[in-house]
Amino acid sequence: MRRLETDVLVIGGGSTGTGVLRDAAMRGFRTLLVERGDLATGTTGRFHGLLHSGGRYVVKDPRAARECIHENRILRRIAADCIEDTGGLFVTTPLDDPAYADRFVAACRETGVPCEEIPVAEALRREPRLNPRISRAFVVPDAAIDSWKTVWATVRSAQEHGGEVLPYHEVLRLLVEDGAVRGAVVRDHRGGEDLEIRAAFTINAAGAWAGRIARMAGCEVEVIPGKGIMIAMNHRLVNTVVNRCEMPSDGDIIVPIRTVSVIGTTDVRVADPDRWEIEPAEVQAMLDAGENLVPGFRRARALRAWGGVRPLYQERKAADTRDVTRAHTLLDHRARDGVERFLTITGGKFCTFRRMAEETVDAMCAQLGVEARCRTAEEPLPDSEEARYYWLGARVADREATLLEDQLICECEMVPRRKLEAAIRRRRTADLDDLRRSLRLGMGPCQGGFCMYRATGILHRELGLEAPRANRALLDFLQERWKGVRPVLYGDQLRQARLDDWIFQGLLDVEHLPTARPAEVARG
Amino acid sequence: MSTSRGEGTRGRIGHRVPGRGPGPGRGRGMRDVVVIGAGVAGLAAAIRLAEAGLSVEVVAKGVGATHLAAAVVDVLGYAPGRVDSPAEALPAFVRDHPDHPYARLGPERIAEALSWFRGRVAELGYRGGLQRNLLLPSALGVPRPTALAPATMAEGDLRGGGRIVVVGFRALKDLHPRLLAENLALADVPGGRVEARAAEVALDLGAADLGAVALARRMEDPEVRKELLTELEPAVADGEAVAFPAVLGLDDAPGIWAELRGALGRPVFEVPTLPPSVPGIRLFRALRHALRRAGGRLTMGAEVVGAETGNGRVTAVLTRTGSRAVRHAARWFVLATGGVGGGGVGSDSTGAFRERVLGLPLRFLPPEGPPFLPGYLGAHPAARVGVAVDERMRPLGPDDAPALENVVAAGATIGGAEPWREKSGEGISIATGYAAAGTVLAEVG
Repeated sequence: MRRLETDVLVIGGGSTGTGVLRDAAMRGFRTLLVERGDLATGTTGRFHGLLHSGGRYVVKDPRAARECIHENRILRRIAADCIEDTGGLFVTTPLDDPAYADRFVAACRETGVPCEEIPVAEALRREPRLNPRISRAFVVPDAAIDSWKTVWATVRSAQEHGGEVLPYHEVLRLLVEDGAVRGAVVRDHRGGEDLEIRAAFTINAAGAWAGRIARMAGCEVEVIPGKGIMIAMNHRLVNTVVNRCEMPSDGDIIVPIRTVSVIGTTDVRVADPDRWEIEPAEVQAMLDAGENLVPGFRRARALRAWGGVRPLYQERKAADTRDVTRAHTLLDHRARDGVERFLTITGGKFCTFRRMAEETVDAMCAQLGVEARCRTAEEPLPDSEEARYYWLGARVADREATLLEDQLICECEMVPRRKLEAAIRRRRTADLDDLRRSLRLGMGPCQGGFCMYRATGILHRELGLEAPRANRALLDFLQERWKGVRPVLYGDQLRQARLDDWIFQGLLDVEHLPTARPAEVARG
Repeated sequence: MSTSRGEGTRGRIGHRVPGRGPGPGRGRGMRDVVVIGAGVAGLAAAIRLAEAGLSVEVVAKGVGATHLAAAVVDVLGYAPGRVDSPAEALPAFVRDHPDHPYARLGPERIAEALSWFRGRVAELGYRGGLQRNLLLPSALGVPRPTALAPATMAEGDLRGGGRIVVVGFRALKDLHPRLLAENLALADVPGGRVEARAAEVALDLGAADLGAVALARRMEDPEVRKELLTELEPAVADGEAVAFPAVLGLDDAPGIWAELRGALGRPVFEVPTLPPSVPGIRLFRALRHALRRAGGRLTMGAEVVGAETGNGRVTAVLTRTGSRAVRHAARWFVLATGGVGGGGVGSDSTGAFRERVLGLPLRFLPPEGPPFLPGYLGAHPAARVGVAVDERMRPLGPDDAPALENVVAAGATIGGAEPWREKSGEGISIATGYAAAGTVLAEVG
């Protein structure tokens, strides 16, 4: 078994884990992060992309609201390139309790979430597709944030400070010696060889999976996985984040992000964060909710549905997971369980990942007796130095610059060939889904119908793969994509899916490709 | 909606000089037949009817799926194992698939339709037949069984094995020669092994990103072909057949193919790229030409938005082009609007399906439960939705009797098949189009 040594081992490659990696690396610790899959594939990459103003929580969970607006301001400064400043609206729809709006305004004032009421006519002028029967409208500083981009930028920053990441490395067991966690044994899902990582301190940032990791050190931690589903519509039905002005409920938010808009979400307690399905009734409920906010929603084209599992920590059991606080929890296992050199950070939200990391690393420093100040709120992430927000036209502008010299591989998301080739070389991955997340390849209306054949050919060539492995990568991608489109196959998207059937099955005959066994595929 | 228009004018039809009919103009006059849809099925039906002397108008929203398909004629490729001989496999296939359109047609009518089709597009020089499927490489290098292929593709038949060099153009992203060649070398083909390699030509085409259609136009320039040959001649080894992406010209592909074949002194063939398909466009043009030659009329950009029906008959369909509405009256209507993919069958967010032009009852609907299975390549319960027809291609109503007296259906509008899996799309389209026309001819002849 290979061995590695590090100061800090971080378990979990979502926003929280990568935030901890960056924070600890910036404070001078040798820090290593392990993630069982690709970065941001757990809960982080599976939310709607809303940078909360805190408005959603002002009435129900004031602590979470205060944290949100505080971090919202910091992220706008340090992660501007990952944020599109869409602004947000809270609107009272015909289905909402009209009395809630006044409570909302009062709670915004109390928690410090900026909120300004505008005339309904003005709200409809800004968002003409909104339900014309709304009775009140409030402007808040919501925004859209790209979770993948934020995680990649956070990791790049961490790497600049010496941090390292090992994706596709799953923790098999923690090394527990003399009442302290001394690292972990991990399995490399791509190379196959197990690796022993010895660490002076271990931080469990495994989110909805944190209970499993904590149990490996004998600590009982109950994290309730709360499933939320989302549906991406094929264009921006609204250009402002739109929230129902009501207590948090299903389908109460539409977020315009990149070229799509996402409606979310639900909240259902599940037993296992790895085993759950998107139920047809959930999809129908989401479409009804969309219809309430934007009439005609059902006739618009749904691209893809997905779900994520929120990690909700609670010492006692709760039935409706939405009643559990959205604020985060830091567990000091020395005080709680008598286990040294081990912290668990769980709960919380994407928007507060930086703060969660700060508190965690502060606690670690305190335990280790090290004095080092957190600087993550001051130093911008790479590409965000100029504090300029991302704008929708950025890809067109990029494309214009190389219009004659480069090929467009994914027309929907405007991914040029050189960018794809560079990503393949940089990531050394033979997994098209990894490239999808890195580049948004295949995320548009055709869901990879055209670009995936092209990308397979380029992948095969760039990595010098054997043909059966390239073929397997394509088939795996088609299966992965099917998971997302299957729950929303109707109308124009079903028609699109049939075109894709004609291309992949009819024309290319992928069903009869010689393939490598599934296990061999992921190994770039 | 119901009008009696047309009811009183029933009488002998087919008496007009082909192509000289008064035409409906802006809703005036009456044709013998209006065909809705300009895919292979609609055009096949229209050509047969026009050639018999009827006045025929094809109205279509767009060009149909022809521009997406490879222009090969699949009849039966998998059932579910790879089919060597469609002629031998069809009797058992229709026995096992009593709901399949082929079960309504029977093997003889399929063979008759195919032989008729070859004569209509003789300039494309279709090769092959129902006795033995050709095995032509897909753009991924899968040996794909098909019954007929145009002359420019037919020499790609992999049966018996052989040596192939796959020519690629860097500017064309829709065919990747290396992956194609490597997969070909792994292909399971009868009678020998395939040896294949890729050769990329550095031809300066003036752009980094050329679609297949743009590249096909460049190939029509003799200077470009000369340069291509200069580069290729030293790169091609003895005994190798030469595979090109299917971009060997739009207007005179057989001529360009023959020229390259002659200059290289060896078999040359095209491999279909991702859509838009250059061979598909050639096939569409050949069919359109055959229709016009026979005096038929083709109106594109005319989406059918309504129909007038009464007494179990359709009297007219209404199309809209921009803001202009036009009424198309006829004695017979051929419904060739396509299935879910082509747009003839729509669906909504509740999961309900609908035949979009006439509201015909749909069959092969998914039973209770999920319409689509978790595995992408599975046999999905909702895959075969479409109308059901009798032996004469008349769509059936809820009572299994013909739904409308003067309507026949053709192509993917007819359910009961999974052509993209079976590799049966063009076979179904040509044979049902031919048979649908036969019904009209028998009634009015």
